[in-house]
This record gives sequence, C-alpha cells and structure tokens, in this order.
Amino acid sequence: MTISEPQKRISEQALTVWKIAATLHSLVVWVLAGGLIAITLIFDFPEWIIAAAIAVAVVYSYLFIILLPTLRWKRWRYEVREQEIELQYGVFIIKRTLIPMIRVQHVDTQQGPLLRKYRLSTVTVSTAATIHEIPALDMEEAENLRISISRLARVADEDV
Amino acid sequence: MSDPKRLHPIAAVVNALRQLKEMIIPFLIFVVFGSRGTDWDLFYFIGSIGVVVLVLVYGVLSWYRFTYRIEQGELRIEYGLIVRKKRYIPFDRIQSLDLSEGILQRLFGLVKVKVETAGSGGMGLQDGEAVLTAITKQDAQAIHDYLVSIKKSGQIPQGEEEPQSSDDLLYKMSVSELLMLATTSGGVGVVISAVFAFVFQFEEFIPYEQIFDGVEHFVQNGVVFISVVVFLGFLLAWMIALFGTMLKYANFTVRKVDNDLVITRGLLEKRQFTIPLNRIQAVRISENLIRQPLGYASAYVESAGGSALDQESSKVLILPIVKKRKIPGLLEPHLAEYHFRVSISPAPQRAYSRYLLKGWLFTLPIIIVAIWFLRPWGFGALLLLPISALWSYLNYKDAGWSLDQGMLTFRYRNIVKSTVYMRKNKVQSFSVKESFFQRKKNLATVEAIVKSGHGGAGGKVIDLEKRHVDMIYHWYSHETAE
Repeated sequence: MTISEPQKRISEQALTVWKIAATLHSLVVWVLAGGLIAITLIFDFPEWIIAAAIAVAVVYSYLFIILLPTLRWKRWRYEVREQEIELQYGVFIIKRTLIPMIRVQHVDTQQGPLLRKYRLSTVTVSTAATIHEIPALDMEEAENLRISISRLARVADEDV
Repeated sequence: MSDPKRLHPIAAVVNALRQLKEMIIPFLIFVVFGSRGTDWDLFYFIGSIGVVVLVLVYGVLSWYRFTYRIEQGELRIEYGLIVRKKRYIPFDRIQSLDLSEGILQRLFGLVKVKVETAGSGGMGLQDGEAVLTAITKQDAQAIHDYLVSIKKSGQIPQGEEEPQSSDDLLYKMSVSELLMLATTSGGVGVVISAVFAFVFQFEEFIPYEQIFDGVEHFVQNGVVFISVVVFLGFLLAWMIALFGTMLKYANFTVRKVDNDLVITRGLLEKRQFTIPLNRIQAVRISENLIRQPLGYASAYVESAGGSALDQESSKVLILPIVKKRKIPGLLEPHLAEYHFRVSISPAPQRAYSRYLLKGWLFTLPIIIVAIWFLRPWGFGALLLLPISALWSYLNYKDAGWSLDQGMLTFRYRNIVKSTVYMRKNKVQSFSVKESFFQRKKNLATVEAIVKSGHGGAGGKVIDLEKRHVDMIYHWYSHETAE
C-alpha cells in the first residue's frame, strides 16, 4: 500500500524569500571570516587560515543559500481536504503529517516584512496539542485557506 | 447558601507559611551578605523580624478580605487587599473539585478545595480556577453537592429516572504493593553505585596492581573511598525517597464515581484528584527497569486540560504498581473504549542493525574520550559496547504497534518501556518520518500526538515496516477511512 503524496506546492516565491533570508544569515559568516582574515594578516598567522575561512564561508553559503532551500522547496507539499490537512516536508528526513479537521482549533496567517514584499503569508494550524506551519503561501491563497479551514473546523465540534 | 463566607482562619497561617517559604532564598541571601559588617547585625535582625511580621499581617488581612459564596449558580469569590478582585465561576463550567488535606488542614479537620474549570489555561488564563485553602469538610461537601445537583439538572432534561450515582472501587493499593512501589522507584542509582562499590572490592582478589603497574596508589584508594561514599549517599537519598513515596502513596485508591475517576492518596497530606472519563486522552503503561523483570507495571492516563500547569493534572498515575497481567482486568471494565489485550506487531528484523548503530553512535564518542584521557581504566569503557548492544536490542524488541477497533497502540522503550493506547478520535496529529537511510531499508518512523494538559504527549516508534506504517497512516486518514 503506497500513499500518493499531497498535491499542492507552496509558492515559488518562497524560494526567493528563503534565499534572501539565507543570504542575510550568511553575511554573518562572511563578516566573521573577514574578521578572521584581517586578524591573520595583522598578526601574521599561517596563510591556510585565510583559505579555510574562505572555504567555510563559501561552503556555508552554497549549502544554506542554494542547496538546502531548493531541496526544501521541492519537498514541501500540502493538501487541504474536506476532513483533514496533509503536510509533507523535510530535507533529509521526509515528514508527513495528518491533521484531522475536527482537531483544528484555530488557523493563523502571519507575514514578516520579507514575506509581505513578496505577497506571501505563513499559515499556522493549531490543534489542542500541536502547531503546524505552512511556511509560504500566496497571500490570497493563505487567506482563503484560513477561512475555509476555520469553516471546516467549525463543522465538527467535539469535546477536546 | 448565599451569604459570603470566609475561609477557616488556618488558611491565613497556611498562606503566610507559603509566603515565608518562598522568601527563604532571598532571605538567606540577605542574611549571608548582610552579616558581613558587625555593626549591621542588629539592623538586619530587626529588618528580618519586621519582614516576617509584615508577611503575617498581610496573610491575616488577605484572609479577612477573601470571601466566597454560592449565588445564582455561580461560585463567587472576592479577594484582594489593595486591588479588589472578584471572580465568578459558573458551576456548569466547573470540571472538577480537587480536594487535598495538608498537615495543618488535617489537624483541624479541614480541606483545601481546588476548583478546576474546563476553559482555564490555553489562552494564558492559567489561573482561571479558584482555590479555597481551608474550609470545613461540611462546606466542601455542600459545594460538591451543589455542583452535582447543577450538573444533573443541566445534563438530563427530563430523565425517566434519576441515574443512581454509582461508586465502584477500581483499585486499592495493598501494603505489599506500596512497599514494592517505594523500593522500586528511582532505585537505579543505588543499584549502579552498589555494583561499582562491589566491583572495586575485587581488588582484594584480582591483582590490579600487577596488571596495571603504573596506577598510582592514590587513585586506587580514592576510587574505593569515593565509590563507598557515593554508594552511601545514594543509599541515604534512596531511603529518604522511599519514605517520601510511602507517605505520598499510602492509601492509594481509585474509584469510579459516575463518569469520573476519583483518586485518593496520601498519609500526611491527603489528596484527591478527579478526572472526568471523557477527558482521558490516552492510557500509558510504563515498566521501568526494575519492575519489568518482576512483572510489575504502572498505568497512567493522559488527561486534557487540568487547571494549573502542573504535571500532576495532565499525566495521572492511576495504577502505581500492579502485576502487568492484572491491568486489563482492572481497567477494561471501567475504561470501556480501551482494551489492553492487543497483539503487538514488532519492528522487522532488519531494523535491528539500525537500532544497534544508533546506540553505538552515542556510546562511541564516550568510549573514545574515556580511552584517550583515562588510559588504563579507560579501556573499561569498551564494556559500554556490549551494554549498548543489549540496550539497542531491548529497544528493538520493544518497538511495536497495533491497530484494533479504532484504537492505536504504540510500544517503545527509551529507558522505561511504555505502551501507549490511543483512540483514533483523540489523536491530535499523526506523522510519518523517513530518512534517506530508512527509505533504503523500507522503514519508517511513526508518531502520534494526543493532548495532555496544555501540551502534547503521545508516542513515537522508530523503524517499523514501511508497509505497516502506511497502513496506520491510511487508518488515521479521515478521507480514506470512509
């Protein structure tokens, strides 16, 4: 018995946003590397330190700006059905999660400045015990999702 | 019953004592740092006395302000010294009354009543409940009766007959079980240190000195001495824990009153918990390392809500220690939705190597460090390899699952072997995880989360047959189930 994976993908813009965010992150690594290189030059430390610092920064940037976001984006799927929400994500470990509609307590959307610029929202689905996140959806789609999930969730009212 | 009532005066004492207890640490710091200069001693002495008096006065005054009354189907509490507060709790929102009796309360025949509401917590309203620190038993009974009458009239519009309030004794702990419970809880440390102390006694027989020539005399004596001291320390701690456990769990009884489980326990401080059956989210059976070989286990229920953020109200021990085979007989008649005689499907054989590897991944660094830094003795760390292998074997052996009439069962071990029984409709979310290596072997990890208190609890089983995991996934999916 195999399970077909959820069909819908998150917004393509998400990849751009992630890459920008990761670039900002990796700036820190570059600054650190730069500092290290400066110290090496000033105090005449062995030269391999310079090479190592640059190598680490390059590898870091490649991993976190290019490789991982792409893999992550490719993996991300979700599907909202009548009675449940299904998510699939993860880079090295694929995680698939089912959240029954009757368990959903509330749905939130939120966006930071970066997401807003690209007209995206993060959707957060909370059950009584867990919180699940769809990281970047088109704003309108997120809005619709929030409305439809909360409507579907309201149909089944069960104790806890 | 509408005139405002005060708590018994002893409540003022209880509250003041609690305040003082909370002040002990700042107080000690104050005294320690304050008693440097000799001139200041008197000042600090008077200061301390002043603070204590203030606390007592505050306790008495806030006792004086605190009133409660039952009015229009609500429990109405008014309190507050400087800021006057009123809290009205409708009775039909009250989930349960938890009664407990501390030493002071018992001396005067009083009880402490904690009123738990369903909606408390979650949205940051964790104190959406009320505590009546000390009231007479009659008053507590009156509140209880009032609560019962409201619930009955609210829930049964015009019943053919008033349902008799049932009261079944579910379980009462025997003296031997109490002893068993006390001796086997948290005793692992003692056993380990006893083994260490014992092993080092072998020095008398095995000529370590000749084997490891370079070992310094000091180390030998030091190790023996320290191991004995550690052992004695553990022994003492264990004795104290044993005594504490006995006091805490003496007279442990579980009764089923109507649709609630009522748990009473304690010798010095008597406590009573009420768990509405419909708030039970899962049943968990735990067997720790000492109890498992003896065939004993304990059972918990995960319960949703609960008033405060304390662990006790979410994960409730209902059978502290019983023979494992007795559990189905004890619980099944009362928890009708759960059945405990399920056949567990194990993890496939090829999963074992992964369990083994995972164990070694943790132990290898320890072994390397030990060998590197503690040269001759460090090699003893190699013993961790077979121990870890055995451990992994146990973990692998205990991993399993079962699906049975709307009920999902997970069995797994971390240190304690747990079996978690969950109803499908109580599972909040369900996940399947596959790593790259698992996929190669057609294995997957399952995880189910139920609500427990204000957070989640549940179970996770690693490396099951992918096919089986998919089956559970399908079973849980609300779309394909139809």
